[in-house]
Amino acid sequence: MPKYVMVIDVERCIGCMACVIACKKENGVADGYFRTRVVEEVRGEFPNLRMELRSELCNHCENAPCIDACPTRASHRAKDGTVQIDKKKCIGCKACILACPYDARYSTPEGVADKCTFCEHRLKEGRKPACVETCLGKSRIFGDLDDPNSEVSQLLKKHEATVRLEFAGTSPRVFYINKKFAGGL
Amino acid sequence: MMIELSITGTNAITFPHLEVWDWRIVFYLFLGGLSAGILVMCSIANLRIPKQPVEELAQCVRAPLIAFIVLAVGALFIILDLGSPLHLVWGYLTFQPLSLMSWGTWGVPAVLFANALYILAVIPKEQRHRLKLPLLIKLSEKLALRMRPIAKLNFALGIFLGIYTGVLLSSFAAIPLWNNATLPILFLVSALSSGAAMVVIIAKKAEIKFLFTKIDIWLIVAELVVIALFFYGLYTSTAPYKKAIAPFFSLTSEHFIFTLALIAIFLLLPLALRIKLGELKEFEDGLHAEFTKAQIFRMNFAAILVIAGTLILRAAIVYAGQLTKLSAY
Repeated sequence: MPKYVMVIDVERCIGCMACVIACKKENGVADGYFRTRVVEEVRGEFPNLRMELRSELCNHCENAPCIDACPTRASHRAKDGTVQIDKKKCIGCKACILACPYDARYSTPEGVADKCTFCEHRLKEGRKPACVETCLGKSRIFGDLDDPNSEVSQLLKKHEATVRLEFAGTSPRVFYINKKFAGGL
Repeated sequence: MMIELSITGTNAITFPHLEVWDWRIVFYLFLGGLSAGILVMCSIANLRIPKQPVEELAQCVRAPLIAFIVLAVGALFIILDLGSPLHLVWGYLTFQPLSLMSWGTWGVPAVLFANALYILAVIPKEQRHRLKLPLLIKLSEKLALRMRPIAKLNFALGIFLGIYTGVLLSSFAAIPLWNNATLPILFLVSALSSGAAMVVIIAKKAEIKFLFTKIDIWLIVAELVVIALFFYGLYTSTAPYKKAIAPFFSLTSEHFIFTLALIAIFLLLPLALRIKLGELKEFEDGLHAEFTKAQIFRMNFAAILVIAGTLILRAAIVYAGQLTKLSAY
């Protein structure tokens, strides 16, 4: 079983939002809803300010609180290790939305929970997620961490990566490389 | 240090104010707690006098019926909140021990079933004809003989239901205000207190009103102590948890409702306590041979204050909780 992870090289993001739009188009996300977002965070004391452009999405956590919270097993771990939602089983109780520390989930107009799937349908075809393929600055990098030759494995060996809200103990599979901006996430 | 955030591609539901659960959940938690409290209190009433016929014991005959109606309405509120209620069947095709929603999915019907048995068991002989159906009358006759074990079962299930609503919220590690071990205790104590208050209101006999007024005094004292511990526990915790109680102590317009709630919690409950203590003192002075209308009114009024406080407490915790996050924004 592969261990799919996404590495986000924060310094390479130019804030073009192509990933946000590509995701909406690829997955038919309803108007007004998003599966991924870009956060602009400016920090510091004037004039020493620094801006971080940070892509955020479902972290497909190893210890996913959304899976534990789900009463019907609609939120589950798929065979490829990613966290997925079976919309036929979702009762729309919103427990998973509240359980996620990353605000990665939302309730669709149809009343079921939704979130990033790492473009599961594309992975089955051996393709990368739409946001990764469309990323102009190559800020989003995707691959199998269990493959030592994959780009993500090489990057994570070379750089010290962080995850969002590490203290929450969810063991996310989305890693951030950012040498200059400490204290974000 | 300055921090400025702007976010592109944000779902309204998750930012800026995470309001996923609304007033329907508030009513579910309130009515579930109230029902739990009534069940525990009427079980106490029916179990405290040993070995007497049901007719003499059943001073709270209507209480199990009211508990049933209250919980059924509460369950209706949570069904109204579900985005896809038709998918609920999947909830009954599995049991997820780590999911508190799953415990509720199975637990609420189980409590309703045991509650229905209790209703049938406490119906006095002369009232059984009201059941109309011969099968129900026969069942009622049989269950009446087992009233005590049924009352014990309902006591246990009442405690389960009362604590469950708090455990449900405290299980969300992503919500600092809720993720607190004191919350289930707070919800249980306030549920028991509101249950005792409800029995005070519905009881016909003044002695029963007096008994539950006395019980409620201790429950209000316990509730106020647990509320204080709840806030103190969060205050002494790490940054996101400390930040979580800030809305309660802020007078800015956005958070004013929580300040009002806090004042109400610390005002309504002690006020009810004072009225109840006043009653107790009067009775102890030897005035309880005859209950005056004013004394009964004051007992009922204090009980209404307690029930209002329970609703306010749950509304404040549910809404304020969703304003809190583990992340910095």
